[in-house]
Amino acid sequence: MGIDTGGTFTDFVYQAGRDLRIFKVASTPDDPSRAIAEGLQRIAKEIDSTLAIEVIHGTTVGTNALLQRRGARTALVTTAGFEDVIEIGRQARPELYNLDAIKPPPLVASELRFGIKERVVASGEVIEPLRDDDLKKLIKKIQKADCKSIAISLLFSFVHPDHEKRIAAALKQLDLPVSVSHEILPEYREYERTSTVVVNAYLQPLMGRYLNRLEKLNLKSQVSGLNLRVMQSSGGSISARVAANEPVRTILSGPAGGVVGALRVAGAAGFENLITFDMGGTSTDVALCDREGMRLTNESIVAAMPVAIPMMDIHTVGAGGGSIARVDEGGSLRVGPESVGADPGPACYGRSFLPTVTDAHVVLGHFPGATLLGGEFKLDEDRARRAFDELASDMTRAAKRKVSRVEAAQGVLDVVTTNMERALRHVSVERGYDPRDFTLIPFGGAGGLHAVDLARALRIPRVLVPASPGALSANGVLTADVVKEQSRTVMLEAKGDSQRQLEKVFREMEKQARATLLAEGFPDRKQKHERSLAVRYKGQSFELQIKQTTGNIAAAFHRAHQARYGYAQPANIVEIVSARLRSSGLVDQLKTPKPKFSSSKISATPHSFVEAYFERKKISVAVYRRAELIAGTRLRVPCVVTEYSGTTLIPGGAQAEINRHGDLLIEAAAEI
Amino acid sequence: MKKFDPITLEIYRALYTSVAEEMGVTLRRTSFSPNIKERRDYSCAVFDSAGRVIAQGDHMPVHLGSMPMAVAAALREVTIEPGDVVAVNDPFAGGTHLPDVTLIMGIFTRSSEVRSQRSAKKKGQHPTPITQHPLFFVANRAHHADIGGATPGSMGLATDVYGEGVRIPPIRIVRGGETCDDVMKLILNNVRSSDERRADFAAQIGSLKTGEMRLLEIVARRGEQEVSDYAQHLIAYSSRMMRRAISAIPDGSYEAEDALDDDGISDRPVPIRVRLTIKGDRAVVDFNGSSPQVAGAINAVEAITASAVSYCFRCLVSTDVPASAGLMEPIKVIAPPGTVVNAAHPASVAGGNVETSQRVVDTVFMALAQAVPDRIPAASQGTMNNLTIGGIDPRTGREFSYYETVAGGMGARPRADGMNSTHTHMTNSLNTPAEALEYAYPLRVREYRIRQGSGGKGKQKGGDGTIREIETLADSRMALLADRRKRAPYGLSGGEDGECGRTYLIHRNGKNQKLRSKGNWEMKAGDRVRIETPSGGGFGEKS
Repeated sequence: MGIDTGGTFTDFVYQAGRDLRIFKVASTPDDPSRAIAEGLQRIAKEIDSTLAIEVIHGTTVGTNALLQRRGARTALVTTAGFEDVIEIGRQARPELYNLDAIKPPPLVASELRFGIKERVVASGEVIEPLRDDDLKKLIKKIQKADCKSIAISLLFSFVHPDHEKRIAAALKQLDLPVSVSHEILPEYREYERTSTVVVNAYLQPLMGRYLNRLEKLNLKSQVSGLNLRVMQSSGGSISARVAANEPVRTILSGPAGGVVGALRVAGAAGFENLITFDMGGTSTDVALCDREGMRLTNESIVAAMPVAIPMMDIHTVGAGGGSIARVDEGGSLRVGPESVGADPGPACYGRSFLPTVTDAHVVLGHFPGATLLGGEFKLDEDRARRAFDELASDMTRAAKRKVSRVEAAQGVLDVVTTNMERALRHVSVERGYDPRDFTLIPFGGAGGLHAVDLARALRIPRVLVPASPGALSANGVLTADVVKEQSRTVMLEAKGDSQRQLEKVFREMEKQARATLLAEGFPDRKQKHERSLAVRYKGQSFELQIKQTTGNIAAAFHRAHQARYGYAQPANIVEIVSARLRSSGLVDQLKTPKPKFSSSKISATPHSFVEAYFERKKISVAVYRRAELIAGTRLRVPCVVTEYSGTTLIPGGAQAEINRHGDLLIEAAAEI
Repeated sequence: MKKFDPITLEIYRALYTSVAEEMGVTLRRTSFSPNIKERRDYSCAVFDSAGRVIAQGDHMPVHLGSMPMAVAAALREVTIEPGDVVAVNDPFAGGTHLPDVTLIMGIFTRSSEVRSQRSAKKKGQHPTPITQHPLFFVANRAHHADIGGATPGSMGLATDVYGEGVRIPPIRIVRGGETCDDVMKLILNNVRSSDERRADFAAQIGSLKTGEMRLLEIVARRGEQEVSDYAQHLIAYSSRMMRRAISAIPDGSYEAEDALDDDGISDRPVPIRVRLTIKGDRAVVDFNGSSPQVAGAINAVEAITASAVSYCFRCLVSTDVPASAGLMEPIKVIAPPGTVVNAAHPASVAGGNVETSQRVVDTVFMALAQAVPDRIPAASQGTMNNLTIGGIDPRTGREFSYYETVAGGMGARPRADGMNSTHTHMTNSLNTPAEALEYAYPLRVREYRIRQGSGGKGKQKGGDGTIREIETLADSRMALLADRRKRAPYGLSGGEDGECGRTYLIHRNGKNQKLRSKGNWEMKAGDRVRIETPSGGGFGEKS
């Protein structure tokens, strides 16, 4: 069973016999486990076997605790003289031209930072040994500090972990969760490593309690037990025990599920290059996957703090259906970043007159019958129109010509498309990918409303809207492999004799991973170990990840640099910074029944027709209900496709059909 | 000018800014100088066909107002053709200080090239070489780790510009797509660690190409007419935003004076005076009465003074606004030639960019505080504490030069404390991580912490300074360009001043030598330099 906790709904996807069933329960943000308990009770009633349930969970507990600063009182142990690294950070201010900008305080206050005399240098040599009596004093001080968890991060611990190990062993007597930097992230750059290990310690007690509560949920007697796994930010799942010890790995748990779900849907339809586009009410997540699967990054910033473990390279922008439109002092039309949120919601929800992106769609007639959620939710069209009348008159003043309500609404959508385009460029063009080689996968409530326009703006040739786009994340976690990520900073020049050392490092990591995966029930034949290297020119500061780990590594790196940045420097020394290993325990894929398929390519009969603005013209467009569409049929365009969890707009000039898997496949036919 | 449309305006704002930002990403990720890749001491910008800036990435404030002068100088002295890249660092021809090298390229649309060739054919002539004026220019400026001169890192204390490094007037380093090898050889022969320099030039050229590609895409999608019209609309938009901001300041004349400690050669303070006149939606910033230019390397060229003024006023615009030429349009800067705020050849200028620019900000804000006391913060550390250490790395036998600026306390704000150990005003460069530094250089960070309790007291507390202590493992030469060692960052509205900075050279034998704010010193292996940076002033009386 897959469970994905979102801001508004908690989604459940589970397999009962040959059927895959989906339902939603209202989320309970103060304690997400209540919504989960409710959903599990509901399922427990429906199934009659007494089997244990295997639950894979996409959670926002970690992220929310970070954003809302609800984590534990954490102590930090550092090399003496470097206690403040966590506060100084990279010494930069957050905004260049804002004199009133506020930097969020560090997670560890200065009275909880403890320096200890010791020093390891880059070569691994100890120039200042760790002394036992200092260690004793440290423990006394921490004991007095009344903290709930402890992070340890010493300089160069990744080349010589002995001091960290001794401190961790000595702290055991305090019986508190301890996070150790060479275990969580054995890589160089002390601020990023310290920040990562501190985030982990900060979340440890909270995540431990939460998962414990879930595992002990008092369920109906039919369920003999709950085997709980948690989705991690890099797109695989980990056991509840690992998640409780290393909660920093779950920060993008929910969004990662969506990307895995999108990969599965697209893979079945035969596409491997994808850009995922998850547009919700207040924010939008985009990510890029290619032949090598999802792209991972070690440079994520979460709640203004670097978290340097591998995470899916998901780019988030603060714009969604609830973003507010306004005309600024200079006469430019701005959309967001301010958002109405769930309360009061867009003007059409009946509680405000703030013009939002959703209201723009209402004004343009994009919601047939002015309803959402398959008719359950009625929209207040009149309020949306009034909100846009107001905006149109502001625009009229700025442009010194008459701007109509419809023009204003169309304008808001144009600006949103541009902002979203910038987000998509960020994950594609800026990283050397050509959007023309990709398929756009929209999901979330508002993804389908903007997908085709966006595809055209970026010249993405096609859009694939999965069935039940609203529950893609829960679907994704259900099919995710079990993954263990490891890395080691090696700092070697790419020469012949570096091979042996690399092989040794990889073997050690593989040995560990094999044991872990075996303990989780994956025999060797169900394991996959992928090696990669983080490489750069000696003297650069940013690495490129390459898959080649033997043979002519330098040549492979020159090619990668050429592909990414447009040039290579073959005369320069190539330096291998880190060895990375991603080990997966392969989960059996779900067997879902094939939908009915019609090979005749006939056009489907629209459910109805509606007057709406499409491409700036008021026309009559077809309305289809997704549930009524049979695989293999074509849709007439322009049209609106509605379903329980989303709406898709397909303008004229595009071609749309339902493929044999039941996905809505649109050839965007960019007009350039 | 034609009417504009608020929707399209917003779209172009995003488009042009993203071009500048993409150029920055390429530059940062491929460069070699720690100054560029780790510290992000660079800027990328897009200019219209007249060389007026349309958009600039949020990179270095000190480059904000000064990049256009480099492009203007290039346009004046060179006819830029397709495939050309012009380099310039001459402070007296559009540059700022020598390590900041600016590269400029013209963007020619293919359609205009084709048109010219076709019309030539029709007239029965041979296709003529393309002579159109570019539709745009792109430029980037990056702080190279060394540009020659007497001291490693080129940030030492010279008494004229000839002692500071290679001076590059606007010249082509790439012509028609081919690198001018002779020119590059001449430049690279005169700088330390020339392999690294060559690679940084390549990274800068790569970044320009990124900008070219993106701009051509936009032209292809939206048409030449619209892209150039909206470049003009964006400039007008920034100007409107700035006029609004100035209108909100009460009319009047406001005067202020602050000073740099000394020029490193003599011990006399170097005053900066400003008279700020606000009238309606226009401002005049007059620096008459400021010190004549000095022997030591703290002279600022006019471009820097303009940048600093532009920064101060931009902070008063409430929302983010494109850093286009329009920002400076309602502001007039009067900087008398031959003064420390508009130095003439052959003044030495290494510190004008990094030190004097900060004091210009302090002085302008001091004047503005009289006009809008509830919006202006107390003085921040007011220096960048420029530290350079260079020599031969015993591990490789190669030259190294390490350059870094050290953050200090931010001045208290009317409604918030100042931040601790943070870069303020004209810089926002990052630190070099201790672990990265030890891999890259024969150096070792011994201490890096907040200078606790140093911030100026007040209702809102000034930010604390920083302590950074570095040991060298090789005999080396060290240069320091710093300030606020004698005259403390000021408090406002009854808040106390911050603390002055201090620098020590701790010899291997334990002898502790207090250093002056600017100078060059020899260090032996095992010696340490300890910098304690100034803290921010307080705001309001402590109750």
